[in-house]
Amino acid sequence: MIDQYDWAGGREAMLRFGPDTGPVVVAALPLFEEANRTRAFVVTILRQLAERGIAGALPELPGQGESLLPTEAATLADLRAGFAAACARFDKAYAFAVRSGALLDTQAESAGRCHLVPTTGAELVRELGRLRGLNDGNNYAGNLLSPALLTELETAMPAAARTMRFEGDARAADVKLQGAPLWRRAEPDNDPALAHLLADDIAAWVRACEA
Amino acid sequence: MQREGFAEVENAVRGVLRDVLGLSAERAAAFREDTPLFGALPELDSLAVAGVLTEIEDRLGILIEDDEVDGEMLESFGALTRFAADKALG
Repeated sequence: MIDQYDWAGGREAMLRFGPDTGPVVVAALPLFEEANRTRAFVVTILRQLAERGIAGALPELPGQGESLLPTEAATLADLRAGFAAACARFDKAYAFAVRSGALLDTQAESAGRCHLVPTTGAELVRELGRLRGLNDGNNYAGNLLSPALLTELETAMPAAARTMRFEGDARAADVKLQGAPLWRRAEPDNDPALAHLLADDIAAWVRACEA
Repeated sequence: MQREGFAEVENAVRGVLRDVLGLSAERAAAFREDTPLFGALPELDSLAVAGVLTEIEDRLGILIEDDEVDGEMLESFGALTRFAADKALG
């Protein structure tokens, strides 16, 4: 169902999945272009969690997706405040963030954080610079971004979290999975088999935390 | 005589093209040194180029400067692999 949440800067939409009671896994999509390439995948994970009896939510964050706030007006502080407000709608929230979404859950009151292939702000800014260069310096793969947001992102780091990465990724991780990076795909795609694996893993993690 | 580690780099580049461009395993496995890339693969537009380069950086632990990116390095599978191997293997 489509729900809503309020934050200091207005009201945003939030997709809800699964039961009305119990802890809620609140998902943070990556910022900007990668959000388009991972939305269907994250929704599949949340539906799979619902089938396992665990509630999920996918808030639209300020300046992202369907938000009425223009992307170039959003700051990192707004995005973090928005995600915190979405989590505050629930008695108990667990954050699940993908890629640069891991930069957004730092202020949320959550019982735990889980990050899928998290990226630092500096890595994101470097990738955005490459996209801008390929687009003759006009915009970032179609997005207009404020200089303030880019400055904030330069030094933004994910908070401590249970970290999941793919096999072959040399960086530290708590869980290593077989999979391919959907967020790099030229055309948005889904990976239901990987979504099932992740839902199994996240469900077991939430149950272990709740036990 | 190929440099030590060249085959690993070639496999990594093949895997990146498969994963980023959404190619079938068979199609990616059929890439040869002279298989043309940029301009020949409809999937490889400029946005996809950014994804390919960034993913190669991640998997091989290298940094590619934007002024090093030109048509020549993207011309063929062999050219891209040699560029990545020069960076990764020195």
